[in-house]
Amino acid sequence: MLGGLLVKFAFVACLAALFAFLENHRSGNEKALRAARIFFLSSVGTIVLFSAYQLYNILTHQFQYTYIWSYSSRSLSTPLLISTFYAGQEGSFMLWTLFTALIGVFLMRDTARKGYEPQVMTIYSTIQAALLLMLIFKNPFLYVWETWEGQVQAGFVPVDGRGLNPLLQNYWMVIHPQVLFSGFAAMGVPYSYAVAALMKRDYANWIRPATPWIVYGATVLGCGIMMGGFWAYETLGWGGYWGWDPVENSSLVPWLFSVGTIHTILTQRKSGAFVRTNLVLAMLCFITVLYSTFLTRSGILGETSVHSFVDPGMMVYWLLIGVLALFIGIGLAFLILRRNEMPKIPPTHTFLSREFALFLGSAALVFAALFITVGTSSPIITQILQGKTTAVDISYYVTTIFPIGIVIAILAGVGQLLWWTRTEKRGLTRVFAVPVAIAVAGTIALAFAARITDVRVALFVFGSIFALAANLVVGWRIVKGNPKYAGGSIAHVGLAIMFIGFVGSAKYDEKQTLSLTQDMPVDALGYRLTYTGYRPIDEEKYAFEVQVEREGKRYTVAPIMYYSKYNEGLMRNPDIVNLITKDLYVAPLSLEQEDATAKSSAQRFRLKKGETTKIGDLNVTFVDFDFPVIEKAAMLEGKDVQIGATLLVSNYGKRPKEIAPRRKISRGEVSEVPAIFEKRHEFTIASMQPDRENKGRSEVEIAYTDLVVAAQTPNAPNPDVLVVEASLKPYINLVWSGVIVILVGFLVTMVRRSQEARLKMTSEAFDSLKVDSLTPLTKRESHESFAGESRHLATPTPNS
Amino acid sequence: MKPKVIIGAIIVIAFIIFGSYSFLESNVEYTDVSGAMRTHKKVQLKGEWVKERESAFDPKSSTFTFYLKDESGTQCKVVLDGAAPNNFELATSVVAKGRYVPEEGYFRATEVLTKCPSKYEAQADELKKNT
Repeated sequence: MLGGLLVKFAFVACLAALFAFLENHRSGNEKALRAARIFFLSSVGTIVLFSAYQLYNILTHQFQYTYIWSYSSRSLSTPLLISTFYAGQEGSFMLWTLFTALIGVFLMRDTARKGYEPQVMTIYSTIQAALLLMLIFKNPFLYVWETWEGQVQAGFVPVDGRGLNPLLQNYWMVIHPQVLFSGFAAMGVPYSYAVAALMKRDYANWIRPATPWIVYGATVLGCGIMMGGFWAYETLGWGGYWGWDPVENSSLVPWLFSVGTIHTILTQRKSGAFVRTNLVLAMLCFITVLYSTFLTRSGILGETSVHSFVDPGMMVYWLLIGVLALFIGIGLAFLILRRNEMPKIPPTHTFLSREFALFLGSAALVFAALFITVGTSSPIITQILQGKTTAVDISYYVTTIFPIGIVIAILAGVGQLLWWTRTEKRGLTRVFAVPVAIAVAGTIALAFAARITDVRVALFVFGSIFALAANLVVGWRIVKGNPKYAGGSIAHVGLAIMFIGFVGSAKYDEKQTLSLTQDMPVDALGYRLTYTGYRPIDEEKYAFEVQVEREGKRYTVAPIMYYSKYNEGLMRNPDIVNLITKDLYVAPLSLEQEDATAKSSAQRFRLKKGETTKIGDLNVTFVDFDFPVIEKAAMLEGKDVQIGATLLVSNYGKRPKEIAPRRKISRGEVSEVPAIFEKRHEFTIASMQPDRENKGRSEVEIAYTDLVVAAQTPNAPNPDVLVVEASLKPYINLVWSGVIVILVGFLVTMVRRSQEARLKMTSEAFDSLKVDSLTPLTKRESHESFAGESRHLATPTPNS
Repeated sequence: MKPKVIIGAIIVIAFIIFGSYSFLESNVEYTDVSGAMRTHKKVQLKGEWVKERESAFDPKSSTFTFYLKDESGTQCKVVLDGAAPNNFELATSVVAKGRYVPEEGYFRATEVLTKCPSKYEAQADELKKNT
C-alpha cells in the first residue's frame, strides 16, 4: 500500500519537475527553475525511499508482497537476499529507476553549472517519469491477495518465499546487474543532451559537457558487459564468454553506439562537422537501450532464445512500445523541427586524416550495431516478411561482425598515426613503417606457429598486431608528454589485446566430450584426466572431482552438478584450470552408470566398401549396401524402407557366407534386424555413411556380439561414469586483460574530458554558450589549443 | 565531397547486401517432422518430448537420444550431440536445431532449446504449500 503510493507520488513529482523545467526553458522564469529542482529532488528522494522500503521488506521477509514471495526466501544469505531486490522484472525496473534518479542529482548540478539545466533536465525527467510509469503498471509492491484476487484471503502472509533461482545464486548476481543497470541509466544522459541541444538551438557546444557523461556510460556499461561475459564463462557454463544471445546483444548494441558517438564527437570538437550525426548517435545510445528492453522484456522473442523469456502480458508489451515510441518521437520531432537551422559544416579533412579514420571507425561500429540489432530482431523481421517466426543462427553474427572487426582493428591503428585535417604524404612512410613491419612479421610468425590457413583470420591478426604496435608507439610518446591524454591509446591497446585473445580462444579452441569412468585415467587434449568421485558441498549441490595432470603438474577441478528443486532440472557449473597461456575448461554433462549388459559388450567396427577385418576367428568383408532402387523411391516418398549391409563372413578360412543385417525405417522410426552367423555371431548395423558420389568411400559401422560369451558374462557392479566436455581455450586471459585495459583507457579519457569541460566552462564563464553555434573555426581552434592537444605524430614536431 | 558521397554510398550498399545475404543464409526455419524429412537444410524442429519412449545418454558417442512429437503427432527420433539440456525434464516444448539424416532415420541435432513453464504463472495454492 505504502510502496505503491510512494511510486505514484514520485511519478507525479517527476512530471511536475518536467513541466517546471520546460517552463523555465520557455520563459526563463527563475521561480519555475527553483520549483523544478525541488520537484525533481523530491521525486528522487521518494524513489530512494521506496527502494529502501522494498529492501527493508526483503530483509525482514515480508512475504505478503507477491514480488518478495516470488524471488526471496528465508534460507538466502544476506548478499543474495539483497540481490532479490532486482531478481525479477519489476525489481530490475526499480533498480534502473533508482540509478536514473541518483545519476539525475549529479546531472542536475553539473548541467546547472554548464547552462544546460532546464533543457537537459526536462528530457531527463521525462525518462525518469517513463520508468516510474512502468513501476506503476508493474507494481513491485503488490500484495499476494491483490495478485490473486478472490483466491487468497486479505492479510494472508506466506510462511516462506519461493526462493531465488539457483542459477542466479552467485556473487556475480550481487554485483553484475547493478553495474549493468547503472550503465543503462547513464545512457539516458547523452539522449537528454542531444535533445537539449536541439531545444536550445545549440548544435556545437553541447558536446563538451556531454562527452564525459557519454564516456562514463560507455565505461560502466562496458564493465557490466564484461562481468556478464565472465559470469557466463565461469559459472553458468555456457561454454564461452559470448553466445550472441538476445540478452547479451541487448547491452552490446547501446555500448557500440556510445563508443561510435565518442569517436564522431571527437571529430566535431576539431572541425565542427558531423552535427547531425552526433545528435542522432547520442539519441540512439538510449533508444537502443529502450529497444533492447522491449525485445527482452516484452516476451516477443518467445521461444527463439536460450533464455526462456517470460510473457509479462499485453499491458507491459504495449507500455514498452509506447515508451519506445515516445522517445523516438521526441528525438525525431526535434530533428525535423530544426532541420533547416542546423549548421551545415562541410568536412575540411581529406581522406588521409584522422577525422576520416574516426568517421570510418564510427561507421564500422554503427554497422556492427545494426547487424546485431537485425539479428536479434530476426524473429520479428521474419514474422513480418514471411509470416513465420524464425531466428538466425549464431553463424550470422560471426560472418557479419568478423569483417567489421578487421576494419575496426586496422582503423584503430591508422587513426592514431594520422594527423588532424590532413597528413603529408611524405612523412607517412616513416610513421607507418614500424607498426606495419611489426604487424607483418608478427602475422607471419603466428601464421606458422598456429598454422593459420584462413585469410580472414590472418587479416584479423594482422589488424590487431598493427593496432597494438601503432598504439603502443603513439601511447608511449603521449605518456611521456602528458599521461592524461593517453586514454585513447590505452583503450586501443586494450582493443588489440582483446582481439588477439578472441582469435586464440574462439578460433583455436579444442573441444572434446569425455566419458570418465571412476579412477580410470583418460588422456585428452594433452592432459590426463581422472574422475575420483563426488562429494556433497551443500544441501543439494555436488562437486565432481577430476584430477588433471600434465608433465608432472597436478590440478584438481571440481565442476558442480545438482538437481535443483526450484528449476526441477539438472544444473551444471563448470570448473576451470587457469593457466597463463590457456584455460582448461571442464563442463560436466552427466553422471552415468556404465551399462554392463550384453548389449554394450558388443564390439564395434567400421568398414569401408570392400574392406576386410578380423574379429576373433572371423573374417568380415563389407561388400556393399543393399539398397535397391525400389527402396530409394520409397524413401523419397516417405514410405517404409529397408536398407541392408551385405557382409561376407568366413570362419577359419571356410567357404564364406553372405549375410545382411538390415535397418527398417517406418514412419520415422528405426528398427534393426540383426543377422546371425553360425547361430553364435550376431551382426547389427550401428551406423551407415553411404557416399553417393564415390561409392568406394561408403562406410558402415557394425556392432558384433558373441552370443555365447554374452550369455556367460555376469552383470558386474557398474562403476560411475562422469561425462564432461573438456575444452582448451588458448590465450583467453588476453580477452579479459584486453577488456580491462579498454576500461582503464575510458576512465583516463573520462577524467580528462570532465576536467576540460569544467575548465572551459569556468574560464570562459558562459561566454561560449552565448556564442552562435556558427562560431568561426578559428575561435574553436584556439579552444582546442587551450586544451593542449599534443598527441600527433604524423607530422614531425620540432623536438622529435 | 562528390567522390566521398559515391564511395560512402558504395560501402553502405555493399554492407547492406552483405548483411541481408548473411541473414538469409543463416536463417533457420521452424518446421515439423515431415518438413524436416523433406529438406537437407538445417532446420529447427519444434515439438514435445515423448516421455513414454526411450531417452538416454550414450557415453560412447556422447549423444543424447530422445523422441520428439510434433503438433500433428508425428514422432521422430532425435540424436543430440551432447547431454540433455538444462531443464529438459520440465520443458513443455523443445526445439531441436539440426538436420534430418535419412540414412539413419533420425534427426541429428546440434542444439536443443527448452521452453519451460513460466515461474510467473504461480498459482495461489502454491502460497499455502508451506503452511
